[in-house]
Amino acid sequence: MKKRFKQISVAQRFSILRTAVALGIALLLALVLIVAISEQPLEDIVVFLFGPIMETSYLESMLTRMVPLCFTGIAVCIMCAGGQLNLGAEGAFFAGAVGCTCVAILPGIPPVLHPILCMLAGGLVGAFFCGICGVLSEKFNVMTVVSSLMMNYVALNLGLYILLSYLLDTSAGFRASYKFADSAKFSKMMPGSSIHSGFIIVIVAILLCHVLLNKSTYGYAIHMVGQNSRFARYSGINVTGVVIGTQLLGGFLAGLGSSVELLGMYSRFTYNGLTGHGWDGVMIAVMAKNNPKNVPLAVLFLSYLRTSADVLNKTSAIPNDVIKIVQAVVIIFIAAQSLFSRWEYRSTLKNAGVLQDTDAAVGKADT
Amino acid sequence: MDNIFSYIFSVEFVNAVIRMSTPLLFVAMAAVIGAKADVLCIAFEGVMLCSALGGVLASGYSNSLLVGMLAGLAAGLLITGVFAYFVLVLHTEQMLVGLALNLFSSGITVTLLYAFTRSKTSSVGLPSLAFPNVTIPVVDGIPVLGEIISGQNILTYASILCVFLVHIMLYKTPFGLRVRSVGEAPHAAEAVGINVVRIKFSALMISGVLASFGGMFMSMGYLTAFTRDMISGRGFIGIAAQSLGQCRPILTMIWTYIFGAATAVGNAAQGFGMPSQLAIMLPYVITIVGLMLAGIRKKNV
Repeated sequence: MKKRFKQISVAQRFSILRTAVALGIALLLALVLIVAISEQPLEDIVVFLFGPIMETSYLESMLTRMVPLCFTGIAVCIMCAGGQLNLGAEGAFFAGAVGCTCVAILPGIPPVLHPILCMLAGGLVGAFFCGICGVLSEKFNVMTVVSSLMMNYVALNLGLYILLSYLLDTSAGFRASYKFADSAKFSKMMPGSSIHSGFIIVIVAILLCHVLLNKSTYGYAIHMVGQNSRFARYSGINVTGVVIGTQLLGGFLAGLGSSVELLGMYSRFTYNGLTGHGWDGVMIAVMAKNNPKNVPLAVLFLSYLRTSADVLNKTSAIPNDVIKIVQAVVIIFIAAQSLFSRWEYRSTLKNAGVLQDTDAAVGKADT
Repeated sequence: MDNIFSYIFSVEFVNAVIRMSTPLLFVAMAAVIGAKADVLCIAFEGVMLCSALGGVLASGYSNSLLVGMLAGLAAGLLITGVFAYFVLVLHTEQMLVGLALNLFSSGITVTLLYAFTRSKTSSVGLPSLAFPNVTIPVVDGIPVLGEIISGQNILTYASILCVFLVHIMLYKTPFGLRVRSVGEAPHAAEAVGINVVRIKFSALMISGVLASFGGMFMSMGYLTAFTRDMISGRGFIGIAAQSLGQCRPILTMIWTYIFGAATAVGNAAQGFGMPSQLAIMLPYVITIVGLMLAGIRKKNV
């Protein structure tokens, strides 16, 4: 055990420690809030901690919930690895769903071709919205954070407008699009369960993104641009192309994610507002350190949290917005680079065997 | 279509623009101070949300506007303080902290709203107070001008006053000089003995006060209750106005009025039969186009 512990570097060890502290503080805060506002604190805490594994239907809903989150997670990973904090995954997810719906309600397209066309439509619409932010940032020097946030509102309202004017099924009795054609919908992997073939697509997508980012020349260029775009430019990398390319790819993945979610889980488009998947993607990317390889684990955690919030919603009156607080605290503490920095510094020196002479120097510098 | 044009040239429209612009003006001034100190605080959105709720809850329970205002300020400053601590002391990526705090504020306000009023959407049931409108005695009598200049909310006057105060603070006081030097050349500032972290912290706290007033105007002036996620991007529009106004208080003020007008036109268009989604979209599209124009100009210089 000890030998294995030495193999990972000090930096990695502290990164794990920060993650653990972040999770601990966030959970503690959530528990305190539940106790404070709940009328049945004990039951609520049990549900909050163990909700998803109490019934198989909950477990199943946790698994299906992972699919779209994995997509937005890798989407944000790729956009952030390219050095742009693009928050437009939220809008791209919603817009992609609208794009997918436009194709999915068309009758008379052969079964295998239909879902592929739907996913393509969703992905391209998503790519369009995130791509605009990339172009704005590279050609017009507009901060991606601000432009992508504005884009989210544009995507939401434009999407709702298209839904209400062209796709609305007035006979549905509630605000929803026409029914998807049967040829478009995904098949279930097991009869009687909600686990659909989108699972295979998401696994392939994660593997492809892992290869692209970590094993390919283009991935190396992306990392280089993300870490130091000036240096990348001097090394002859087409920075503009890489930035716009990563935003397009990220948007495509987000749009693809919403298409897979719709075709697998729904029979109509029923979103009335932004779904929050894009924000979750940001949190997942932060937890996964922008590495697609770590995304499934981060998604598992978040999905667990979300499912317990849902179960809590059924069994208790407290608002499930408590989860947003947990999410925020996790992001903030994992991102806090200088947390434990002095401890980390000392450990690094100790590892290098130079602690004795520098210890005094560190003390002197502090005073 | 005729109706909408005659509306745009009416006194009500001008008043609507002024009302819409007030929160934007506050947060844009906050962003100006932040930008001068070289800190981009996207957490203003959350600051506004928390102060909006704090003001409503405290004034509703204490029945005192002063207590409400102080509580709103405290709530806003708490979020600003956390932002400043994580960014300046723990060297956290400022975008991520801002993002996380906005998310946090969205969650905590709904949770607290539920804890106090047992409603997850709005505080309508709570008899909270609002900042009063002020009638200026003599000006009130002038036909058209009087209707515009007089009778606005007290915070609207305060927001306009703020523009000049921020200008004076930044360009005419020793503190403003320090803020600017810390923002432009932190190492040089440090070399002449300025405590960079402390100056940036103070600048952020002042901008936190301004943003808090912007938030309180939303729930205690513009509306008279708190509704969930009621800031809906205004903090970001304020930052956009600041970057279009190139950090100059007066120019930034002009841009906030342009955004305010876009919102007012959007609201009006909704009333005149234009699809509401497209109308709501208008201010955001104008923000993006405005940022693009600012970018083109920056490149030409």
